[in-house]
Amino acid sequence: MQDISEASDAQLVTSIGRYSEVALAEVYRRHGGAVYGLARRVLNNSAEAEDVTQEVFLRLWNQPDRFDPLRGTLRSFLLAQSHARAVDAIRSLNARRAREMKDAVKVARGSYDMQHEVWDLSLADKVTRALEELPEEERRVIQLAYFEGYTYVKVAEILNQPEGTVKSRIRTGMRRMRSVLNEAGVQGAET
Amino acid sequence: MNHLEANELLAALSLDAVDEREREEIEAHVSECPKCRSELDGYMDVATALGNSVEPIPEGLWNSISSHIYDADDGSEPSPSIVTGIVPIEVAAFRRRRARISTKPLLATMGTVAAAIIVVLAVSLSDASSHVSNLQRQLASSNYIVTAALSTPGHTLVDLESSSKQDVAQFVLLPDGRGYLVSSELPALSSDRTYQLWGLINGTPISIGLMGANPSKVTFTVSGAKPSVLGVTVEPSGGSPTPTNAMVASGTFAD
Repeated sequence: MQDISEASDAQLVTSIGRYSEVALAEVYRRHGGAVYGLARRVLNNSAEAEDVTQEVFLRLWNQPDRFDPLRGTLRSFLLAQSHARAVDAIRSLNARRAREMKDAVKVARGSYDMQHEVWDLSLADKVTRALEELPEEERRVIQLAYFEGYTYVKVAEILNQPEGTVKSRIRTGMRRMRSVLNEAGVQGAET
Repeated sequence: MNHLEANELLAALSLDAVDEREREEIEAHVSECPKCRSELDGYMDVATALGNSVEPIPEGLWNSISSHIYDADDGSEPSPSIVTGIVPIEVAAFRRRRARISTKPLLATMGTVAAAIIVVLAVSLSDASSHVSNLQRQLASSNYIVTAALSTPGHTLVDLESSSKQDVAQFVLLPDGRGYLVSSELPALSSDRTYQLWGLINGTPISIGLMGANPSKVTFTVSGAKPSVLGVTVEPSGGSPTPTNAMVASGTFAD
């Protein structure tokens, strides 16, 4: 019998499809910290991040078929789920009320400090460096969109820039990031 | 949304920085555009790296999750994946079966078969009865994937013949273990029946997954031992852990 800790992520998802709680626990052990970490970063609230984490893993339990191993890693899938749910939460009316536009800009400019929050310092270092290499205007739109949960339309409004410019900067910045990360040997979310 | 409009928003989509309407329109385009799909996957890699900051998990969170895992489990079938069309048929089969009977007797019955089934990682199938728009997207996606598979060096074609020696289905298997249904002339079954695909490994039939009552798209991945023969049986809609009927079609892998 194969040791559960040696099973691939895809095998674990197949086992989850057979209602293996052990397999779900192993997936949680491998990826729970990343799912929670991203949700907390976006929401800036531990309790809400726990809710998002719980929702992501319960969704994997109830609908494991939504993971497509041909499109990417399980880590990538779970992080996308975590981010989407965190963004949904933060875009809700109550969350939006709590955020003043000027505060958001201030946060995006000043509080991004990944190195103190991540465990995987090697990856964090590469991502931080890739972000730092971006021109300021590209870095800001990506941070506002990804870590603050704003749509590109809202980012344009916050920064008082044309929507087309924001779209273009997000795209250019992401391409630049991809190139730098690829050169640094970072491939998606391999674990 | 045309190609240019969708392409301009792929990076924003990867950051969840589009509204719901735009998301749906972009995803509809991506499902039919291999170029945009590839570009989006690249942006998603970057988004994953951005979000890949592991933090200590709060104590008690796992206990909370594990205490809720059966709350919403009403035994209903999993819904098809919207964008990719990938549905692990082992998952679907087991979950449908579980809706009718308890887990423990099932697992006992499965025995060694369940252990051997680990060779199957994922299988997709089409569900023609609903989700028409999804199916159209999936079909476009599937056609592209199958075409790409047929162009991949080292692929193997397996023709499945009926008992009357007529070709009724063809599969393509890639060197990395991924396999796809290329074509099928299997007649449609009633809704309470399904075709089930089996691989013969060391003389033992191993379930690869369910193909549905009217197969049009099947995707699977096999790791470990490669089956020497592919076969298809007709089973109850939930599938069977071992074949309950004779093979209606089978084919041998050429070495």
